This record gives sequence, structure tokens and C-alpha cells, in this order.
Amino acid sequence: MEVFVGVGDMKVSNDPEVILATYSLGSCIGLSIYDPLVRVGGILHYMLPESSLDRAKAKRNPYMFGDTGIPLLFTEAYRFGAKKGRMKVKIVGGAQILDQDGFFNIGKRNYLILRKMFWKNNVLIDFEDVGGSVNRTLKLEIGSGQTYLKVSGRGTRLI
Amino acid sequence: MRRIENIIERIEHLRPFSQVGSRIVEISNNPDCSFDDLVEVIKYDQGITANILRICNSSYFGFKKRITSIKQAVSYLGIDEVVRLAVMENSADNFNKEQKGYDLKEGELWRYSVSSAIIAQELAEKKHIENLSLVFTSALLKDIGKLILNTYVKESFEDIMELVQDQGFTFREAEQKVLGIDHAELGARLAERWNFSRATVNIIRYHHDPEKAPRKDPFIPIIYLADSLCMMTGIGVGSDGLAYRYYQDVVDRLGLSDTELQKTIATFLDKLRGVEELITVSGGN
Repeated sequence: MEVFVGVGDMKVSNDPEVILATYSLGSCIGLSIYDPLVRVGGILHYMLPESSLDRAKAKRNPYMFGDTGIPLLFTEAYRFGAKKGRMKVKIVGGAQILDQDGFFNIGKRNYLILRKMFWKNNVLIDFEDVGGSVNRTLKLEIGSGQTYLKVSGRGTRLI
Repeated sequence: MRRIENIIERIEHLRPFSQVGSRIVEISNNPDCSFDDLVEVIKYDQGITANILRICNSSYFGFKKRITSIKQAVSYLGIDEVVRLAVMENSADNFNKEQKGYDLKEGELWRYSVSSAIIAQELAEKKHIENLSLVFTSALLKDIGKLILNTYVKESFEDIMELVQDQGFTFREAEQKVLGIDHAELGARLAERWNFSRATVNIIRYHHDPEKAPRKDPFIPIIYLADSLCMMTGIGVGSDGLAYRYYQDVVDRLGLSDTELQKTIATFLDKLRGVEELITVSGGN
């Protein structure tokens, strides 16, 4: 059963029948975590780096922002029995429009905030496919832990 | 070039804008249009009337009272909103179809078009542009060329992608190089054939090339920026991805700060659930 993770959304599951899927990753980041021992996994799809932009919106929807969404994804997975040390961490997205090198490069900033938080909290990345100018889709099978990346116009592969 | 002629001839395969639809687009270009003008045009078309009422009564608008006539709809929603709904009603069928060349499933191009039109309207409001209906409808229709070019993009996809991936072409430039015409130019010619206003034709033609547009045009930079923001959200984006150019100068001239742009994205996402409903109810699937 496919469970849809929208833009600015997060889902965690331990149901082996569930496939978490998030579409339309442009400059957004799709972060997938999975603990193979307890078979718990989750996906976060955030669009903007920092919640300081609008505290009220961040309170209503913390998954819209990297700095509020990332900790919640891990916390929720821990609640299901997952452990940080066992987690397979995969990130995709963070694309940019061509020549978008100036300050307003949300894709890059979305990626940087994640790197900063992971570095502070000793989280290692097992796989990443970020940047470029492509649109991506990310899927995680909770039963097997297999994770799939689709790049629009370029097909799907196991990551 | 015979190829371009062939491509343009396929315009005949689209469901054309109805007479009423074209008349409404005309009205949307005229800021002086009155309540009565609009009601007069719409009320004789049962299809449009029924669909507008269906959308009005959806929870996106959340009216407590049931709206049963166009007159009522116009007085509740205002002229601009009804014009937008009427144009949406006229376009949804064409835009809803799967576009294999662009790797877009059924409904995705419509989702993209509605989303970028909503963002464009929001930016236009920030910039105090008066003719919001023109901005909304033009943003909604700007990718109309894709509906035709889709078939050709599919046939030549590998050639197009090679230019994009290996030679730094934008997707639009690659379409132009490989097929002889790109979706923006094709869309503009289509709009000309349907007698859309000069302003709308220009918006469609230059929506990826704002720096080539007439400098005085106040709409093109806004629709260009809305398109860029929408691409970044990824909603309804296909195989062309974000492979278009970002013109910092154009964005700078609009005088919107980085924070304001991020807030525009956040505001749009905040109402995304409502927007999704509008997309579904207007597209009918």
C-alpha cells in the first residue's frame, strides 16, 4: 500500500505492507531513514531551510522547514523503536534552476542546513543524490527497507 | 522548415477555446469590465455555468449558503474570481491529459499550471498590479505549447536530453534546436490563432526569456518568477525539471527580497491542501 508524503509532510511507519512515497522533489529535500533491525522507516519532504522565516507557519506545519522537520522525523522513528546508530540515511532533491548561483538558492540551502544538523548530531549519510536541475521521486518499502529514486525522464533505480 | 509547419498544424487537434471561453479571456484583459458584462456572457453557456457553480460550492471557498446562479457567484466571489474559474473550466480538459514527452502523468500539468497561476497572482498582489485576472489566466495558459509539442519531445527525447545534460542547454533551448520550435513560441502562436490579447501572447512567448520581453511589460517578470518558484516546489514538474535559466537581474528589478520570496513559497504551501481541492474540482478528476 502506497502512503503518500506530500510537500512539507512527514510519515513514519513500521507496517511491512507500506511503501512511503514522495513526489515532486524540486529544490525540496526528501530525507529517508530506515532501521533494518526493527524495520521502521520514515520520509520527510521539506521545502525551505529555516523556520525563523515564519514561526507561526512552522508551528502549524513543522515539516515545511528543514530545521524543525529533521529532528521530528528522527524522534518519531525512535518512538517506534528505531536507533540512530542503525539508521540507513538517504537524501535526494535540492535541485536548482540553471544559473541560480545567487543568494536565493533554496536547493543548496536546504541541503546545507541538513549537513549542518547531521554534523552536529553525528548522523552519517549512506546515500545522496542532490543538486542538478532535475525533478525527483523517492520511495521507501518498509518491509524490505529498499529505497528507490526516480529522476523524471530518466527512470527509476534502487539506491 | 517542413517540420515546424507540421507541428503548428497539430494545433487543430486541441479542443479549442469555446467562443464563450475566448470572450471571457477578452474580458479578463479589460479592467473596466462590469458585473453585467460578465454575467451576460456566462449565463448562456450551461456547461460553464454548471462547472463554475460546482467549483463555487466546493469547500475550497467554504460558503455556508449554496450558490445557485452565476449572478450570485459573481456577487459573492467578485468578477476576477469568476473570470478565473471560467478560464480554468475552459482549459482543464486539455491540460489534464497525460504528457508522456514531459514525463507527466494525467493531471500533473494541470496541477503545475494552477499552482503557478496562484503564485503569480500572489506576487502580482505584492507588486500592486491591478489586472490580476490577466496575470492568473496568462500564467495558467503559459505552457499551452507543451500540449502539442509533447508528441515531438517524446520522439526526440534523447537528443533533447543530451543537449540539456551535456551541453548546458535549457530544455526550451534544446526543444528549439532539435525540433525547430519550443513550447513557449508554439504556445504564443497558438494563442495568436485563438485571438488572445497581445499581453497574453507576450507572456506565453517570453515566460522563460523575460530579458527578451518588452521592458515596459509589467506582467512577464512576475509570471517568470512565479514559474521559477513553482519549479522549485517541484509540484507537477516533469522531465524538463528545473532546466531553465534563472535571471537574477529580472528578479532584482522586481525588488522582492529573498525573505519575501521564501514567504511566498511558504504561504503557497500553507494553502496547498485547499489548492489541491481546487485543482481536482476544476479538473474533474
